[in-house]
Formats: sequence, C-alpha cells, structure tokens
Amino acid sequence: MDAVTEATKRRPGTEPQESIEQRRVRAFERDKGTRRSVILGEKVARGVITVGGLLVIVAVIGIMVFLVRVVFPLVTSGGVLNEANYRLDNSRDMVWVNSDEFQSLATTVGADGRAITFHIPTGREVNRTQLAFEGRTATAVGGLLTRDSVAMAFEDGTVRFIDVGFDIGTVARDAVPEGLERLDQRDELFEGRIFARVLTGDHRTIAPRYGVGEPIEVSKNPIIAIDYKRGGTVERPTIAFATVDSQNVARISQSSVRRNLMTGAETVTTTSGELPNLDLAPGAKVTGILLSGSGDRAIVATDDGMLYRFDVRSVKSPVLAERLRVFPEGVAVTSLAFLSGDQALVVGGSDGSVDVFFRIQRAGVDTADGYQLVRARSHEKQSAPIVGITEAQRDKSIATLGADGSIWYRQSTADEVLFRFNRRTDPATAAEFMVFPRSNGVLLVDKTGGVDVWAFEAPHPEITPRVLFSRVWYEGYSEPTYTWQSTAGTDLAEPKYSLVPLIFGTIKATFYAMLFAVPLSLMGAIYTSEFVHRNVRATVKPAMEMMESLPTVVLGFLAALVLAPLVEEWIGAVLLAFISIPLGLMLGAFTWQTLPARLALRLAGIPKFIFMFMAILVAGYVAYQLGPFFEDLLFYGDFKAWTAGQMGTGTPFMFLLLLPLSFMLVSYSFSRFYGHHYRMMLRGLEKTQAGWLDFARWAAFLAIACLVSLAVASFLTLIGFDPRGSVIDSYAQRNALVVGFVMAFAVVPNIYTLAEDALNSVPGHLRAGSLAAGATPWQTAMWVVLPTAASGVFAAVMIGMGRAVGETMIVVMAAGNTPIMEWNIFSGLRTLSANIAIELPEAVKDGTNYRVLFLAALTLFVMTFVINTVAELIRQRFRKRAFQL
Amino acid sequence: MSLAVRPLARQAVEDRPEQKGRSVRVFSADISATGEPWLWALGGALALGIILIAGFLALIFWNGVTTFWPKPIEVVTLQGGTLVAGEPFRAGVYRPDAGIIAKLSSEQQAFVEENGGFAQRTLYRTANFDIYGDDFRWVSDYEVAKVDYPRDFYLFERQEWGNFVGRIKGVIIDNQPQEYVADVMARAQREARDRFNEIRSIERGDIGRINHRLEQERLSIRRAELRYGPAAPETLAATERAVARIAELNAEFTVHQKRIADIRGIDQRNRVVLEEVGGRTKETELSQIVRYYPSNAVTTPDKIGIYFSRWGEFLSSEPREANTQGGVLPAIFGTVAMTLIMVVIVAPFGVITALYLREYAKQGRLVSMVRISVNNLAGVPSIVYGVFGLGFFCYTLGITIDQLFYPERLPNPTFGTGGILWASLTLALLTVPVVIVASEEALAAVPRSMREGSLACGASKWQTIRYVVLPKALPGIMTGMILAMARGAGEVAPLMLVGVVKLAPALPIDGFAPFVHLERSFMHLGFHIFDVGFQSRNSEAGKPMVFVTTLLLLALIVLMNSSAIYVRNRLKRKYATGHF
Repeated sequence: MDAVTEATKRRPGTEPQESIEQRRVRAFERDKGTRRSVILGEKVARGVITVGGLLVIVAVIGIMVFLVRVVFPLVTSGGVLNEANYRLDNSRDMVWVNSDEFQSLATTVGADGRAITFHIPTGREVNRTQLAFEGRTATAVGGLLTRDSVAMAFEDGTVRFIDVGFDIGTVARDAVPEGLERLDQRDELFEGRIFARVLTGDHRTIAPRYGVGEPIEVSKNPIIAIDYKRGGTVERPTIAFATVDSQNVARISQSSVRRNLMTGAETVTTTSGELPNLDLAPGAKVTGILLSGSGDRAIVATDDGMLYRFDVRSVKSPVLAERLRVFPEGVAVTSLAFLSGDQALVVGGSDGSVDVFFRIQRAGVDTADGYQLVRARSHEKQSAPIVGITEAQRDKSIATLGADGSIWYRQSTADEVLFRFNRRTDPATAAEFMVFPRSNGVLLVDKTGGVDVWAFEAPHPEITPRVLFSRVWYEGYSEPTYTWQSTAGTDLAEPKYSLVPLIFGTIKATFYAMLFAVPLSLMGAIYTSEFVHRNVRATVKPAMEMMESLPTVVLGFLAALVLAPLVEEWIGAVLLAFISIPLGLMLGAFTWQTLPARLALRLAGIPKFIFMFMAILVAGYVAYQLGPFFEDLLFYGDFKAWTAGQMGTGTPFMFLLLLPLSFMLVSYSFSRFYGHHYRMMLRGLEKTQAGWLDFARWAAFLAIACLVSLAVASFLTLIGFDPRGSVIDSYAQRNALVVGFVMAFAVVPNIYTLAEDALNSVPGHLRAGSLAAGATPWQTAMWVVLPTAASGVFAAVMIGMGRAVGETMIVVMAAGNTPIMEWNIFSGLRTLSANIAIELPEAVKDGTNYRVLFLAALTLFVMTFVINTVAELIRQRFRKRAFQL
Repeated sequence: MSLAVRPLARQAVEDRPEQKGRSVRVFSADISATGEPWLWALGGALALGIILIAGFLALIFWNGVTTFWPKPIEVVTLQGGTLVAGEPFRAGVYRPDAGIIAKLSSEQQAFVEENGGFAQRTLYRTANFDIYGDDFRWVSDYEVAKVDYPRDFYLFERQEWGNFVGRIKGVIIDNQPQEYVADVMARAQREARDRFNEIRSIERGDIGRINHRLEQERLSIRRAELRYGPAAPETLAATERAVARIAELNAEFTVHQKRIADIRGIDQRNRVVLEEVGGRTKETELSQIVRYYPSNAVTTPDKIGIYFSRWGEFLSSEPREANTQGGVLPAIFGTVAMTLIMVVIVAPFGVITALYLREYAKQGRLVSMVRISVNNLAGVPSIVYGVFGLGFFCYTLGITIDQLFYPERLPNPTFGTGGILWASLTLALLTVPVVIVASEEALAAVPRSMREGSLACGASKWQTIRYVVLPKALPGIMTGMILAMARGAGEVAPLMLVGVVKLAPALPIDGFAPFVHLERSFMHLGFHIFDVGFQSRNSEAGKPMVFVTTLLLLALIVLMNSSAIYVRNRLKRKYATGHF
C-alpha cells in the first residue's frame, strides 16, 4: 500500500498535453517493483521477531545454565596450587610449628628453645631467636587450636607457656618504608617484617612474636604428654592443662589469671589434681592425653588400644568416667585430636585407621556420668600406621600423617579424603605438621629442619552428594540424621547442609495445600461450567481470575497474624467445621430431594445456589457454637494437650478420620447388595416420597457409619495403634494446616480458571447429544464432559501444584520455618523456597551456603520445570483433541 | 442456554396392574440419577470458595478502612484499683486455663463459671511505650470494676515513641509554664510543626545537596588517582581543587547546621507536660507532636477531619517509628517506579514473542518448544527468579559494570548489589509470559479479513502488522501490560533478594544529576507488609498499618486488574464476529 503511493508521488503524470493513450503507456512504465527499503524492513522485522521469539527459549535455558554454573564449583572446585620443599639451616629437634593465616610466615620451635621464622613460599629465613629455656629440653608439646600459644613440658617436670604468634597490622600506602626486599610476587621483606600490598593500596604487615612464660612445676618426673586449653574471658582467662609423666601419672592443672586493672600485673594461681590410677595393662604405655576446650574432659590413650575418659570438672578430684577399647588388642592408639569445636574426638591407630568418636548421653550406659563415647565415623584407612593428626582451625577437616610419609587431608563431616600427599622429606624422620589457618594448605617441618609445603584450594570441602541427600551423623547428635542448619551461634559449630528436610517440607506444604485446593477448585469449576447460570459465571470467573494476581504476601500476613492465632484458639470449631459443612450440604441436598418436583424446578437456578450458601453459613455457625463442646466431648477440653499425647487415647481422632471411609463402605456395600432393589423401589414412589425415603436411607447410613467408625477406632486403639506421633502430634501455632489452607487459597484460582477453561472448551454438541439421549445434566457432566476434558483438568492440577511447590511468602510468614521432617499436620515446616528467601540475603557471595542455596533454587527450578513441561504437553495434546471433536 | 433450568428428570406415568385405580406418577429414572447430593457438593465447593474470598476481602477492607477512625479512650478501673487507659483494640472470647483461674478470687471464679468457663477479654492499646515498655494490655471482663470515658483524655501521636494516652497537665511556651488553654496549645503546636518541617527541609534540601557534592568531590579525587596514578601532577591538581571546594562546602554546611541548631533551640523552649492515667508525667517538645485530640470529646465532623488527615499523612509522608506509623510514600513511589521500569522492559519482548508465535512461526516442534518455554517461565517459582537476579544481574552484570564505569567507588558497590533496575529486570523476566499470552490472544482476535485486505492491497507482511494488526491489537496488548504490572506489583519474594529494603534513605528519582538513580535500593508496599508485620519490635502495634498498606496494595492491584478486564471485554465485543 505504502509502496504504491510512494511510486505515484515520485512520477506524477503532470503534463496536460498527454493523451489518454500516452498516459496508459506511462502507467505501464511505472515502477511496480517493491522498494528496497520495504524489502529490507521486511527482512529486519522477520529477523528481529524470530530472534526475539526464540529468546524465550534462551531465557529458560539461560536461567538453568546460570544456576548450574553457580552450583557446579560445589563438586569440582579446588585443587593443589603449589608444592614446595626446602631445608632450614642449622636447625634440630623441631617440635612445634605455627603459620600466619596468609601463608606468609611460619615459626618453628625446637626442643631446646631455638625458634626460626621463615617465609613459607620461598623458605627464606626471616628471624632466629633463642627462647629462654635455661638449657632445658622440651619432652612434650601441646598447643591451642590456633597454635600461637603452646605449652611445653620439660624433663624436670615443669611446664612453660610459649607464645609464637604473629602481629598483623596495616600500613598506609605513603608510610611504607624504602628499601623493601622482594621475596615473591606478593610479599616484600623489611627488618623482619613482611609487607604485602592489599586491594585498597595499603600494605599489610606481618611480624613474628615470641614470648616465654614462667615455669610451673607439675611433677618430679619427666613429662611425656601434655595438652593445653584456654577458656574464660579476655579479662579473666582460665588455663587448663593435662600432663602425663614417665610414671604414667596423669595430672590436670587449672590456672586462672587475674589481671590487676590498675597495675596491669597478672597473678596466676594454679590448682592441680592427680587423675585416678590408670591401672594400665602390664606393658602398656600412655601415648597421648587430650583436654577438651571447656577443661571438663580429659582423654588418655594407650598403645594397647584403650581410651580412658576422665570427668575433670572438679580439678581436685577427677573421676574416671569411662574406659573404652577402641581398637583390637595389639593396635595402638597413636594419636588423638579434637575436631575444631572440641566435640568430636579423632583417634588414629597403628593399623592406619582414623575414627571419630562422639560423646553421647544415653540411657542405660554403665559409665560414671551417663555419657558414652560412640564411634560415629570410620574414615578411610591409611596403609601405614598413623603417626600424627592435626585439625583444621576453622572447619571440620583434619590432616593425618602416616608412617610411610603419606599425608591425607580429610573432611570429617563429608567423610572424604580431599587430598593425598607424600612427604618429600624423609618419612622416617619424625615431623610436626599443621593445616594453615584458612584450611588452604598443609605445612610440615621434620625434626631436622626439612620443610614440605602443600598449598591447595578446597572452597567447599563439606559438600558431597552424601551430605546433601543422605543421613549424616553430626556432632552432638545421637544418630545419623537429615538436618539443615547452615549457620549456628558459633563459628566452630558443624554446618549441616542436608536438602532432604527442605524438600520434605516443600512436599508436605504442597501436599496439604493440594489436599484442600484440588477438591475445592475442581468441584467449583465443574459446577461453574456445567450447572450455573451464564450471568453467575460471568461474575465468578473474572473474580477468580483477579484472585490469581492477589499478592501472596497479603495471604501470608493474614495466615500468620490473623488465621494462625484464630485457629489455635478455635481449633475445636475448625475441626468441627470439616465435618459440619459437608454434613450441612448433604442435609440440604437430601431435603431438597423431598421438595415437590414443580417447586424444585422453579427454584433450580440461583435460588438453589443461595440455599447452598445458607447451608454452608449455617454449618459454619453451628461449628462455631458447638466447637468448645466438641472439643470437650472428644478431646477432653484441650486439643493441644491431647495432640501432645498428654491425655486420652487416639480413638476420637481416628473416629473422625474413619467416618468418611466407613460411610463410603456402608453405602458401597448397600448399593452392591441392595442397590438395584432399592432403585426399583424408588421408581415406584412419588418424588416427594422417594425423597423422604432417600433421606431416611442417608440418615441411617450416617448412623451406621458412626457406629462402624467408632468400633474400628476402638479396635485400633485396643491393639495399640495411636495416630499421635505420626500424622498428629504436638501443636505449633504456625503449622501445616494453616499453611496448607492459605496456600490452597493462593492455588485455587489458578486451578479453577484453567480447569474451567478446559471444561468449557468441550464442544456443546457433546452435551446436547448426551442430554438428548436422556441423560440428566449430572450424568452428562460426569460421564461425558469430565472424561473429555480430563487431560486439560489434569494439566490444571499440575500447574497449580507447580505454583504450590514454589510459593514463598506464605510459607516464610506462616510456616514457622522449622526444618523438621514429620508429617504432623500441626507442626511447622521449611520449604526450599522459604529457605532461600530467609538465608540468601545473608549468604556470602560464592560461599558454601550461597552455592547450596543456588542448588536449592536449581532443585526448585527442575521440579517445576518437569511439572510444567508435562502439564503443557498434556494441555497441547488436549487442545488438539478438543479441536478435533 | 442454561443447563440448570432443564427438567431434572423425565417424568412418566405408568400403570401397573396391582396399583389400578390410583394414578401414581412414577419416575422413569430414580432420583439418584439427578445426583442431587453430588450437585450440592459441587455447588457447595464453589459457594465455599466465594464465601472465603468475600470474607477475606471484607476482612481486609473493614480493617483497612476503620484503622484511621478515631476511637474512644476507655479508662478501665480494675478490681484491684489499677487504672488502665487506652483505645480498645480488639476483643475476643477465650477460655482461661486452669492456672489462671486458680489465681482468681472466688467471685471472679464464679463469674467465669457462670459463662461456662469462658471469659471476654479486650486488648487495650495503652500506648505510652516510653513509660510502660509495652503498647498493649489485655483486660478480661472478670477483672473490670468500672469503665469511664473521661473527656479530658487526649491521644497524642508523637514523632518518636509512638502514641501517648493521657491528660495535658500544662503547657510550657517559651520556657514559661502556663495553664493549658486549647487555642494557645493548638497554635503553639502548629508553629512547632512548621519549625519541624523547616528543619526537615533544610536537612533534606540544603544539607542533602552539600553531602551529595562532598561525595562527588571525594570521588573526583579517587577518579583522578585511578586515571593518572596517585602521584601524578594531574591528580595533585585535582585533589587541590577538590579540597578547596570541600572546605567551601564544609563552611556552608556549618551555616546550615547553625540554622538548625537555632530552630532546635526554640523547639526546646516549647513543651507540653503530659500525664498518663497512673499520674506519671512526661515532658515532650511540642514539635514532636504530630497530632492530638481529646478522644472522647471530639465531634463527628472533627473525627472525619482527623480520619482524612490521617489518610493524607499515610499517603504523602515517610514512615516513622520503625515503619509502624506515619506514611508509605516512599513505598508507593518505589512500587510504582519499579513497575513502570519493568513494563518498559517487558513490553517489547512480550510483543515480539507474541508476534513470532502468531504471525511468523510455522507451527511445529520449534513453536511447541517456545510455548513450553513460555509456560515454564510462567510456572517457575518467583523466588528462583530472585536467585537468578541476584546471581546474574547483581553479582555478574552489576560487578562488571562497577569495574568498568564506577571504579572510583569500589569496593563500595554501585550496581553490584540490589537495586531498582535489577529488581525491574527480574520482574520483567517473571511477567513476560503474561504479556506474551495476552498479546497472542489480542493478535488472534484481529479478524483474518483485515489482514487479507491489507495484503491484497499490496502491503508487505511487516507493513500489515505495523499498520493494521498492531493498532487493532493494541488494547489487548495493553491488557497484557496491565496484568503484568498487577502481577509485578504484588510480587515480593524475588525483590527481597534483588534490592528491596525496609527503609530507603533516598528515592530512586531525585534532584541530583542524573536524576534517575537506577542503582538505588527502594521500598515496596508488599515488602512493607512483610517487614512491619514480621520484623518490627511489636507486630501487634504494626498490625493496623499492615492492614492499611494491604488495602492500598490490593486496591492498586484490583484497579489494574479491573481496568484490564474492562479493556478486554470491550475488545471482545468489538471483534465478537471475527473471533471464530
């Protein structure tokens, strides 16, 4: 159209002297080809629109790919970054090593008090000091988790505390001194201090710190094992240390330091107590002693595979709490360590095994304090005897050293060996080793000054498919569980990343929501599509559609702040309403049947619908009035106490639960045996009479059903079955009942609209044919319309389910957010979506929790993707079929 | 044709030999064929749904509408002689548990007994949080001795600490204690409020501008450093210039501070002495009092005035008292701004996809895939979009933008964190299916004859679409946009991850260049509901506010939906003949 006008404009036939003939010729000469711009525009439009249209596919795939990309490093990331091996000059008998958290400097201390500080990546010596040991030689060493404070025990039975930490500071970029000596890419050296440029342009400085405390005399004999812990507050620290001397006498000492605020002077008071006689088997030797962080437990290990656990809460009179054989005879316990947090005890044996023990309180154990050490995890065995175990400072990792020089870096929670290294230093030389503070490497120094460094990256060591999806035995738990607890009060708590309770919560919420939503919406949709007047439909349908875009935050708010307290207060009435409303409707229906045909016909349209409203409202009011009475009658006046199992039996609830079942049973058996006879009888009666007869039949059925139900419930109780503890259990205010109900409210409009659409698109001639053949509208709807639309209706339910699975705000607000796994309708839950909404805003970017939450999102995405794709495929097929009819 | 008015069962007369002489109407089918109980179950489900929806809307409407209506103050004398004064907030019947009943006097026990173990209790909003440490108090009917409505009790709405309920003991004007005279107090309070607003305008206007420019100067130094290096002469020159200007600005800042200090000085000299029901007094600056009235003495016209003035404040001012009082203007602004940006983004994509599906694509496997994708986009949980938005928009795109264009602000993120642009983009992704489906419907509704006519006239395909199909389909496409806006305005879960905050210090649009700040976080009505209802110190105190905000949000969404339905119905009527 445009092209034509343009063409005319360009060559206007303006010469007046032209004859008609000439004009006609000129008209033929006109350029009738399409202009190039139009063709170009056409091509551009086609291209842009096609690309734009396909962008939707790109978006869906893009989202999935992005989520996978974020999740992927959980399983793949990490690897060895660097290995180094060198030898320190002139050093001997190295017994301790400590590093700063940036892997810049390490200090190693010899038994004679010689301390050497060196640059870790290059091995360059930075400082060398002699600690004031006064010529004595250390015989045992024990340090804190942070490794900067060490207790050294000597051959004369004394103990000294040594400080081998690092001072870390910042220097503004213009205050950096001249003449720095470059050590490597990152670090520069100046007067025994390391300078490293940080992101802001300033420099970080690291310098070693040395200190030696006064000797404390503990024993007359040389000490062969020591462990040391620090507790209390900064103002009033308490120090506890345990020692074993060469006579196998174990002692526990506690020092409290009192700092004078005026003078700054410290006074140390030490109290000591001897542990009860170990009563070792002849020839057995003590191989180690370990003290828990709060200084209340001491554990002594021997070379015949025994552990002795002492309760040392009272220093003066420690008690032997438990004696436990951990390894078979002949296998020595070679090393002991606590995982960070001091909850889990790691035991290494001379057969290469590394086992983790938890102290668990159990009824009926024969230990002195009611606790018991339980083998919770058996990690993969190393091929040579374990000679050392060292724990990571910030997570639940450990490094274990075998006599053959193999070092395995393991994650204890995930029960996984992350890295396997082999010493390049001589495996026969005893060595001291540590995991770097950020759990990103292992440093080993042998007695002769040989150094092995392995730097690695393991950003998400605690995540394995096993941790995410199966039972894990966590610290402090009495058995393996599915638990989600990504953050806790302290850094040392074990993070628990099981997605199972969240997936369970999602399924539970969806299940209860669908339990309410599916009957309500489908029945409503059938009624709207088949039985109501067009005008009613024209108001109800848009109203329902509008409810679809109702913000769920509003529903959540109402659920949590209005409905939940109300339901809690009126639980009796709510339960009664579940019975009274169906009963009320049935009562209405059977009464309606008794109406004379003429009257029933006249009232059939909107008046009947209004009567249904009335029936529900009256039933609701009855429930409200009789609720407390109902609660008194069946639940001893206090439903919440009843659910908690504090009183009564399970009979009343089972009676209610079995009532519909027994009603169905009764009516099925009746129609099976007497159905034909009964229908023939009805046919012989006038409509009103038939109605009354049917009414009587219904009432009788109800009575019989009640009796049957009561009998069965009593019988079940008699044989010891009680629903409490499974589907029914103690009542929480924000519970699955409320969530299910309100979520149904969010889902109903969705299912209703789609199902109604599907029913409505069944062609009218099918209905007409059925009605013409003599079927009633009810029979038509049930046996003609519904089967035809079944796939569409099913798709509607699927789509509604997809929505329920991902619903967030209602669950966040009304579900209590407790990640527990029980079907109890009166307990809270936490869904995948709510968990994301709660935890992701606080999660550190690219941290473990961040990635696991992305995994949760991916799980949700995949769940809904499958549901929606199936639903859409069904719907497309249905549409094609409905079109063909 | 209505199915419901058909005869429910055929009736026929049949004579049986043994019943001769009596004409009995016998059904050819028995009454079970009509399925009456089943019909009632179906209809009952629909009726129940309607009742629930109506009840839900009525609940919100009633609570929202009545919140701002001035309520009387009841002074309750308890049987022990304690006085409780407050607005009755809500009441209910409850069953006191055995522990409570055991502690009651025998008379009270008899009273409860008489009511079948139930008691009526009323929650009073006693206010005076600064004195009582709580806003509310339950009073059960068995402990009440007497209820009064004294006319000298006032309700004060304060800028801080919430409301105050009590008497006026005296007024201090210009440090001179005076007797309370209504007119004097009213005038003094108005003047004090004017001063309060002046301070606020200085803080927002002048000081805000100075702070903004100070920030700009600091950034200019950093920018020069990054471009030329820390020691370059250009950097030094820029630093010098900036330092000079900073000094100037600081001087200006001091001037404004002085002005504020002066006004504050006047404020401190004008106070009111309040007395709560128990006799404890509290002195408050007049400027801190937003509104006050004698609850039991106000006339109906005055009540109407207070009611509308509260609505006015709600719609036009900022929140105070941890969002539980005051207004929601920033939230309205944030919601509207985000929705508009979203619709600008979503419109082209939605329409293009609809055009592809309806006009260009050949029906086949590819189209089927596009449709599955559209339905998946519609069905993926909104929180997943939030996660994607956070990970992709904020942390991937945003951080890249920061590194390229805002290096001087690092390590503080500009686009590398939640903001209104990212929120809009996230919601655009979420609502694009709504637009696609509606646009497709609209395109389908354009009669084939119009297209064919256009093509027959020699127009190309794109010209036909551009000049014939799209203009005709525009109302339908608009419907889709409005529906998308309604969906987007109500969505909260993804926003919690990509930029919504409980209190935004600055609006996304203001007077400082470049005027539209797409990187800023914002407030949102839906999140406001969540925040006030669940994260404030006292969710009970926030409840009225939540109801009003809910009402506002619902009204907004219902308005959008109804207009969409209206447009669609008009469209349907217009093309009724061309539909099939």
